[in-house]
Amino acid sequence: MKPLIASAVFGVIMMFAALSVKEKKTFTLLATLLLVLLTGVNIYELMHIMNGEIPEALFNGMLKYGSFSIWFNTLMTGIALLYVLLCGKHIEKVGQHTGEYYGLIFFILCGANLLSGYNNLLILFLGIEIISIPQYILAGSDKRNLKSSEASLKYFLMGAFSTGILLMGIALLYGAMHTFDVSQFNFMEHNVDAMSLGGIFFIMVALGFKVSAAPMHFWTPDVYDGAPTPFTAIMATIVKAAIFVAFLRLFSETFGGISQHWTLVLSIVTALTLFVGNITAVFQQSVKRMLAYSSIAQAGFMLFAVLAVNATGFKGIIIYAVAYSVATIGMFAVLMKLKDYTYDGFNGLGRKHPLLAFTATIFLLSLAGIPLTGGFFAKYFVLTAVMEQGTGMMWLVIFALLMAAISAYYYFKVLMAMYFKKGEPELAIEVTTGDRFFLGLAAAAIIVIGVAPDILLAWLKN
Amino acid sequence: MKDLVYLVPLFPLIGFLINGLFWKSMPKKISGLLASVAMLASFAVSLGIFFEIKNNPAAGGVVHLFDFIHSGSLHIPFAFQVDALSSLFLLIITGVGFLIHVYSTSYMHDDPGFTKYFAYLNFFVFAMLLLVLGANYVIMFIGWEGVGLASYLLIGFWYKRKDYTNASKKAFIMNRIGDLGFLVGMFLTLYHFGTASYGELFPKLIAGLPEGVSGNTMNAIAICFFIGAMGKSAQIPLYTWLPDAMAGPTPVSALIHAATMVTAGIYMIARSSAVYNLAPIAQSLVAIIGLATALFAASIALKQYDIKKVLAYSTVSQLGYMFLALGVGAYTSAVFHVMTHAFFKALLFLGSGSVIHAMGGEQDLRFMGGLGKKMRITQITFLLGCLAIAGIPGFSGFFSKDEILAAAYAKNPVYYYLGLAGALMTAFYMFRLYFYTFTGSFRGTHEQEHHLHESPAAMIIPLVLLAILAVVGGYVGLPEVFSEHHLLNEYLAPVVQNFDVHHLTHETEWMLMGLSVGLIVVMILLAYGRTKKPDFKENTGIAKVLENKWYVDELYDNVIVKPMKGLAVVLDKYAERSGIDGIVNGVGRLVSWGSNRMRLLQNGQVGTYIFAMVVGVVLLLAVGLLIVG
Repeated sequence: MKPLIASAVFGVIMMFAALSVKEKKTFTLLATLLLVLLTGVNIYELMHIMNGEIPEALFNGMLKYGSFSIWFNTLMTGIALLYVLLCGKHIEKVGQHTGEYYGLIFFILCGANLLSGYNNLLILFLGIEIISIPQYILAGSDKRNLKSSEASLKYFLMGAFSTGILLMGIALLYGAMHTFDVSQFNFMEHNVDAMSLGGIFFIMVALGFKVSAAPMHFWTPDVYDGAPTPFTAIMATIVKAAIFVAFLRLFSETFGGISQHWTLVLSIVTALTLFVGNITAVFQQSVKRMLAYSSIAQAGFMLFAVLAVNATGFKGIIIYAVAYSVATIGMFAVLMKLKDYTYDGFNGLGRKHPLLAFTATIFLLSLAGIPLTGGFFAKYFVLTAVMEQGTGMMWLVIFALLMAAISAYYYFKVLMAMYFKKGEPELAIEVTTGDRFFLGLAAAAIIVIGVAPDILLAWLKN
Repeated sequence: MKDLVYLVPLFPLIGFLINGLFWKSMPKKISGLLASVAMLASFAVSLGIFFEIKNNPAAGGVVHLFDFIHSGSLHIPFAFQVDALSSLFLLIITGVGFLIHVYSTSYMHDDPGFTKYFAYLNFFVFAMLLLVLGANYVIMFIGWEGVGLASYLLIGFWYKRKDYTNASKKAFIMNRIGDLGFLVGMFLTLYHFGTASYGELFPKLIAGLPEGVSGNTMNAIAICFFIGAMGKSAQIPLYTWLPDAMAGPTPVSALIHAATMVTAGIYMIARSSAVYNLAPIAQSLVAIIGLATALFAASIALKQYDIKKVLAYSTVSQLGYMFLALGVGAYTSAVFHVMTHAFFKALLFLGSGSVIHAMGGEQDLRFMGGLGKKMRITQITFLLGCLAIAGIPGFSGFFSKDEILAAAYAKNPVYYYLGLAGALMTAFYMFRLYFYTFTGSFRGTHEQEHHLHESPAAMIIPLVLLAILAVVGGYVGLPEVFSEHHLLNEYLAPVVQNFDVHHLTHETEWMLMGLSVGLIVVMILLAYGRTKKPDFKENTGIAKVLENKWYVDELYDNVIVKPMKGLAVVLDKYAERSGIDGIVNGVGRLVSWGSNRMRLLQNGQVGTYIFAMVVGVVLLLAVGLLIVG
């Protein structure tokens, strides 16, 4: 409860600060302080849970937190802090309304909080909308840039479309169950009919749209490419992870009992997502666009956690969310330092800026799932989770591994450019000691997770 | 004391790390001192452990350090086995190892790679200690591989000479072939018994063949382990690396041949006696291979002119005796011979090192002679070593070899007669070597003669100490006819029990002893007569075959190496270039092409996107509701 209120209030504080503060740097500083505070509030809440307190249900049982949701929120606020530290000065450069941008980021965290703790389909809907609307604004924040405006409009149009589908799904489920309260959902063989299944599939499609699963992924490359890069970084990471948590909770906990009815469809979606994301990424010329496709491909892997319908899936999503978010934010932070976003822009970076190149190497290795990086255990956990359900999904796991092999191609192309090609990479912005420190910190975090993934799981109860 | 056992391998490891990491900046004095002190410290701890176990055999046991592998039902602890067998080996390894270290400080003094050499040497000892101390086959295997690596590094220590690096590669590859056998044996053990720990495995076997495990399985495991032992302990057909291993510095040869490495195979089989006792076929195989190696290598040694080659083949031959003992179930006799052999073979090698040092690097017997006048101590200690290896009563080799031959006689008199023939050859070639080197007149250049000198104290003192051990080392295992108490057998009894060894009557034993001693003396006299007037004309007939080592290297080259290379060329040309490369590149092109097509789907039109999305969703709903639902 406290983190939820805090994130909303902090958002408002940022908005009001925008009225009186002129200096852009002040916003970043203020946002950093508030994020530290928010992380602290989350940790405070977590400590209570670890001491054995059971948090009470809020709003007539519409919100219910457990150790999983609080721990997830703590991680996400921590990652948001890292994000602001790494990308803050790029956010300042985007447009005139830096304070508002930070305010919107706090609202995104507020939405993520709702998604992790919802116990009612209405709160789920509310969370999705709270997390989506700031993104429409952020995508179009670079108003003088046509591509940015185009991205915003496209995202809004298609997002509105998917919101309709989500509402339709919720309505159908209400018809079947006579309640929005997911803990009262009671699926029996006799009431699994076209109405309830239809509702499940519509919700699956709508959530799939938000996490950019194929064939609902078409908005992703255009929006990620068009939006200002610092905002692409948050859309591709924290937002995606939060919606995945909602996705996972709904399908594992609520619909888990009748998983035989929907796993086939979801596995087709997973296979399509892996295929489209990885194959299309191969031919991209721009690293930013490649990262957009890579985020589709990575979503394919995260879908495994949903498919697993077991406790390992929950562990998997935690590790995946953190490893993927840190690596992606780090990679975007490196990318933003460069003037040229194509592969050629990276030529010779290894010689000119060894630390940038080295940390980028670790982020890319993690995204490709190479051992000793967090990405390896992320993939390991989600694939193991599915294998625990028997060999029925073996084909999908093998397919995923083949696709992971293809992903190595487009990630390593960046490594090749950095270390084996000659060039004079131009920087768009000066690299400060602080940048080096936080990039190194992010890379170190990736390695730590890659060696001891258990540290992320120690805070989970059951 | 037992709980301090981890210190034994730790000291050389520290020595290795310090010398290895700072080899560029270490002063010579300090690095040699450091390595030797590390060995001395290990030796001190080993002594403590040895006496503790001697006083109270129950003091031993497993020292668990940490969990090494824990996966499902597979559980492999990183633990050390402290008992009579391992503590005895610890003493041999650290004790003889220490003397060799001290000797090396002088022998290698002018070498530019001095510090690196001591780092390798410490690592070698560390790996060997791990091998001996491991409480399960996995830890033993780690040490086993470490020894293989260290021997590779040390044999090729003078890496600028191509033939030396070839020798090191040969040693490594031969050992790898054996290692495969060890690995398979280990996997079979894990598969059938679910454990590789001695403490869990052997009690199951001592009671008899466990249920659900056939005799064939036991034979398979035992033979696989023996293949591993063949590689490390240089038995037919994997023995050819050992003579070539002489390429390394002479103290390394002493270390490989006497205290470490080659005894690993003996140790492994003695340790696994419970396995071999249930595997009669494997046991016979061990005996036959051992005996064949003993004879074969001895025959080659008869006609070698390189002082180290003679010693190398004599090592192969003596190892054959040890395997013969293992094969007839006389495990303690094998360990006994390991011990006495460690003393006199280290002595002989270091003695030959002293000779080579004095000769300025010359190793050919044909250019030596009369060295005794200039280097009296080397001569006397070398003579003691020769007497010991030849099996003259009163010297250590006599007791251990006699014990092996007696056990062989009890099993099968044919083993005895063949073994005796090998022993006679041993006496002959060792004294041929001795007489050629130390008596008669000098046959080298004038310059070499001028240069001849006795070696410095750091080389002489280890020689003297080893000579004393080579003389008295046998008294821990007096034969039954002399004494009621066989100290070594009593010491080892809690760990290794001899299997199915018949006791001979005292009359038979006296007769066998008399026969062998008489014949050995005859052989020494024969060697003296043959070497009195040296003439080195070219060998013909069988002698030429022996000089060329039965052409085994050439045989291996033609039968194995060349066809393999031919196959490699064919595979490279057809399978690799046109087959695999074609597939791999083809897949890459396919993905690239697919990517190029897929890209076009993303045309930027929101209408198209939503249309494609709706079509996809409808199809998905159709699958979900009509097919599954």
